[in-house]
Amino acid sequence: MPAAIKKTIPHVVLLAYVAVILVPFLFVLLSSFKANNVEIATRPFGLPKIWAFENYKEAWVKAKISVYFWNSLYLSLSSAVAGVLLAAATAFALTRMKFESASRWIYQFVLIGMLIPGNVLFIAQYLLVRNLGILNTHWSLFLPYTAGALPISVLLIAAFMRSIPGELEEAAIVDGLSAPGLFVRILLPLTLPALVTVFIVNFLGNWNEYLLANFFLNKDSLRTLPTGMVGFRDAFQTNYALICTGIVFSVVPVLVLYALLQKNIIEGLTAGSVKG
Amino acid sequence: MKNALRNPYVYVAFILPTIALYFLFFIYPMIMSVYYGFTDWDGLNKPNFIGSDNFATAFRDPEFRSSMLNNVYILLFSCCVQVPLIVVFSLVISSVKRLQGFYKTTVFMPSILSTSVIGILWGYIYDPDVGLLNNLLKLFGAGPIYWLAESKWAMLSILITNAWQWMGFYIVLILAAILAIPKEIDEAARIDGASGAQRAWHLTVPLIKPVVNVVIMLSIAGALRVVDIVLVMTGGGPAGATEVMASYMVNKAIKYGEYGYGTALAIIIFVFALVLTAAYQILFARRQERLEY
Repeated sequence: MPAAIKKTIPHVVLLAYVAVILVPFLFVLLSSFKANNVEIATRPFGLPKIWAFENYKEAWVKAKISVYFWNSLYLSLSSAVAGVLLAAATAFALTRMKFESASRWIYQFVLIGMLIPGNVLFIAQYLLVRNLGILNTHWSLFLPYTAGALPISVLLIAAFMRSIPGELEEAAIVDGLSAPGLFVRILLPLTLPALVTVFIVNFLGNWNEYLLANFFLNKDSLRTLPTGMVGFRDAFQTNYALICTGIVFSVVPVLVLYALLQKNIIEGLTAGSVKG
Repeated sequence: MKNALRNPYVYVAFILPTIALYFLFFIYPMIMSVYYGFTDWDGLNKPNFIGSDNFATAFRDPEFRSSMLNNVYILLFSCCVQVPLIVVFSLVISSVKRLQGFYKTTVFMPSILSTSVIGILWGYIYDPDVGLLNNLLKLFGAGPIYWLAESKWAMLSILITNAWQWMGFYIVLILAAILAIPKEIDEAARIDGASGAQRAWHLTVPLIKPVVNVVIMLSIAGALRVVDIVLVMTGGGPAGATEVMASYMVNKAIKYGEYGYGTALAIIIFVFALVLTAAYQILFARRQERLEY
């Protein structure tokens, strides 16, 4: 076999795979600009005859994608931030403060959480938020999202903090910095790369979460994108263009984030699964 | 001099919120699950302790058994079809120099998207009238196939969607392991005259076995956890053809209020996951050290 052909075979195989990944998105993107179902059915890969940008406006305003979008955004952001800060504070206390034996126990105790698959706790968590009286409020997602991310976040941040040498802190303590000051002014800035990674992983997990969001909230105005989208699909069953528009709205922010931070995202997600 | 780091109030203040949340949403639900699992609680009346009745019922429940079988299909499909493909694709990606980053980024992409949105997207692709697949079939004069509405196709449709979403994630895991192998080993084999395929099979594959084991274990755990995609794409239908253990559990609890029975099912799923991964560890992956990246 000539070398040139031998070199192209892997690329042909891989481009076929890439096509399988990307073609569905292309199909959805083109459909989202089409005026009606007939056009989608007859020319699935043709460019739209008239670019129906009003689909986007309609989905955003009339179909309330905007509501779901902002709900998702603020819930995912706030619980990811809360999770990272709590985990960082805990990791700091566990790795830096002088309570070694207590720290060892607490660390092991928190890691047990990673053995428990989320679904298993679903019913008990449902009953818990019901008893707390927060069913059908955003608290019912904020708290489990924040709590759910803690074990893996503590693990990753503590591992990172252990790799930071202690000299800088010793100097800071000699200069009279307290433990909280040390945490805020020295440790947090130094741990920033790990915090960013953990934050992104938590954010994506929350942004995509479906099961809890579906059953803990049933007021439409509180819904997040993943569940709102399903309701949206069920309501507009045959308006394919509008459904595709909704898909674009929920996929694009994640893809933008991915384009900007793909290295952190890939690292964070895979590190979590291999170590977990 | 280090008194600052011995302040117990600060220590507690830094740890307590985490422990409180963790206890409330992990440990307490776990304990309550075990408790509810042995009761007949319906959410309204006082729970009665009924011993292991729920578990006995579960294994006699034909619907739960068929949903268990569907989990077995998912498990077999991911271990016997997906894992070999994943290894092959990882090897192919590692063998190219040009565009390697592009391939990696693209195949990984579906795994960062919401399963529910992917379910909607693929539901559209499977659509009998305007969907992509039936459009393709039409070119060959075949179809239309009602992918999600016919029992014989629905499970396969879900399996394909699930594979589409997750294969790239595992490919990236294995790719990282392949790229971490020192180049010298490969060079030496090349100089000795081993072909590309020989090197891949006799050198790379044995070296990445630990990470392949990790992938298989994650697939086992993932196969037992599947739920979102079923709820979004078929809701378990048609006629229970795609019902999985987790979706059955959720429906029993939330729709029918059988919390006691539902949590018993949750415990069964948990135990299955533990037993299967432990069995796999002991049988196949025993002497492997943990991988660190």
